[in-house]
Amino acid sequence: MPAQRGMRVEDEARQETPSPPPVVVVTFLAALLGGIAGAMASGVMAWIAIGAVACGGAYFASRASAPRKSMVDVARPRRLLLLLDRGGSAESKVPPEFAGDWATLYERVSRLAHDARSNAAPGSELDQFRKHADLAASLLRDGKDPLAEAPELRAGPLQSLLEGMRSSGSLPVVSRMRLGEEELIGEDGDTLPPDWPKPSGEETARPPGDINAFESGLKELIREIEALRTTLAGGPNGEGTAARDDAALRTPAQLVDAVVLTAADGIEDLAAGLMRANELASVAERVTNRATLLALNAALEATRSGSEAFAAIAEETRRLAEFAREATDTISRLSSEIEYKVGETITAIHATSEDAKTSLAELGGSAVAVPTSARSARVQVVRLLDRSRELLKCLGISTPRQPAENPPSAKDRNSTPDIVENGPPPADNATVAEGMLLIEGLKPGAHLES
Amino acid sequence: MNLGTRGALTFRLGDYSFAVRVEEAGGILDAERLAQLPGVAEPIAGVAAFRGEMVPVVDLAAYLGIEVPIGPGHRYALVLFRGMDRFAILVPEIPRLVSGRDLREAPPAPDPELGQLLESVLENDQDHFHCLNYWRIFESIIPAAGASGGSRASMDRGY
Repeated sequence: MPAQRGMRVEDEARQETPSPPPVVVVTFLAALLGGIAGAMASGVMAWIAIGAVACGGAYFASRASAPRKSMVDVARPRRLLLLLDRGGSAESKVPPEFAGDWATLYERVSRLAHDARSNAAPGSELDQFRKHADLAASLLRDGKDPLAEAPELRAGPLQSLLEGMRSSGSLPVVSRMRLGEEELIGEDGDTLPPDWPKPSGEETARPPGDINAFESGLKELIREIEALRTTLAGGPNGEGTAARDDAALRTPAQLVDAVVLTAADGIEDLAAGLMRANELASVAERVTNRATLLALNAALEATRSGSEAFAAIAEETRRLAEFAREATDTISRLSSEIEYKVGETITAIHATSEDAKTSLAELGGSAVAVPTSARSARVQVVRLLDRSRELLKCLGISTPRQPAENPPSAKDRNSTPDIVENGPPPADNATVAEGMLLIEGLKPGAHLES
Repeated sequence: MNLGTRGALTFRLGDYSFAVRVEEAGGILDAERLAQLPGVAEPIAGVAAFRGEMVPVVDLAAYLGIEVPIGPGHRYALVLFRGMDRFAILVPEIPRLVSGRDLREAPPAPDPELGQLLESVLENDQDHFHCLNYWRIFESIIPAAGASGGSRASMDRGY
């Protein structure tokens, strides 16, 4: 681009200056004058005259081929090219050697060079925009106003953007970054660096558009908190939807069923053991019968033979068999009694479980077991409360308190301590209680309007 | 009073109490599993092994037409012997051995149900026991070789 521009300037300069006399014409005229002098004179004087005419013609030819004025035309374009390379200026002074049209050309080249250096190229424009953006970002990160700290930003392409950001109060982007850092560092805000920017009281003066934006965000946050609290409380009908979905969440009736099933399983195992004992008792009964038969046969033989000794042995055998029979009968009777009592116990357990479920149903089923897995949800509730409180501070609204004349309902009394008890240990109990009051007492419209 | 016996094995069938003198009794065995014989009359319940020999078992209740409630309990076979011959009668309970000292002869009373099968009646302080001619019953079912047992059995029962 600069070379083409320099060639055009050189052509214009060549058109402005007169062209030198052609060397061929001068040489031809010198040769013609030498021939005429040779024809008119003769001898040494004639040759001297021809030589003088030829030398004169050659001198004029050399003068015509290298005129002095062209040296001036090369210097001007060179000056112009140098101007393009170094870059021009918006208000440049025309040198004295550029006069007339050259002065006009010099001014144009100077403006072009200035424009090309300032914002003509897209790459340079992008680099400048990037520099301005980096500068603005660093100033915003330090909590400073970019328009006040960097004068070049007031004239740069980011001027309108920064002015709009300052007027709309979107500087809390620093505050949002702080919240993200807080999540990374931990729940305790005291672990933040001491020089970390804190929300100040002057943020309370916000334009109406700012308050509306925060109000909408706060309403959405409150809706989410209410939905989460409803889920933790077991739903409006007292039966938690999550309890039905999650196997870990069980209602008291389900817990009663589980206990009854466990007890019934154990008792059924006991009954199975009793059945096995009955089988063994029947085996013992058979053995006893055989012993009885043996004793009877021995007694029969003793009676038939009339032997007293044999009769005595047969009598002992009969007593032993009778004792075994009594023991077997006792075992069988006890086993039957235990089996009967086990059956009665199973029936009583089922009846008791039904009574317990009926009683729970009469109580309204408001008591929903809170499993261990719900603790994470409670932690989320506490975090959401903290964020909502920070949003309220950003809005300049004091944290709403529960009115003394409007005590919490029984459902609220049940749910609030539960969450406080099972949640993570808060840094300040008053903060958590305040957050719970925020959940229960926050009527978005009323408090935001106040 | 000499009854001519040292004792008796007593058992009940329905409303009757029966007795077998110990001099006729060879032993008692468990009749829970009897081997059934094909093509035999109803009173023959099967055969059982007694001391290495096979003895036929007669269902006395079925022969006498006495209804005995069938329970889950065991059945027993009371083996009678005469010489080298043996057979068993099926009883629903373990017979009781009653010493001869406790038994006495009861006055005979004609029983149309038992007919000529009744030999004698024994008694103690609790009950009366009918002593039957069991070998006649067995021979009426299974006649001896060369004898018309069937007609004799019918005659003995009064048919």
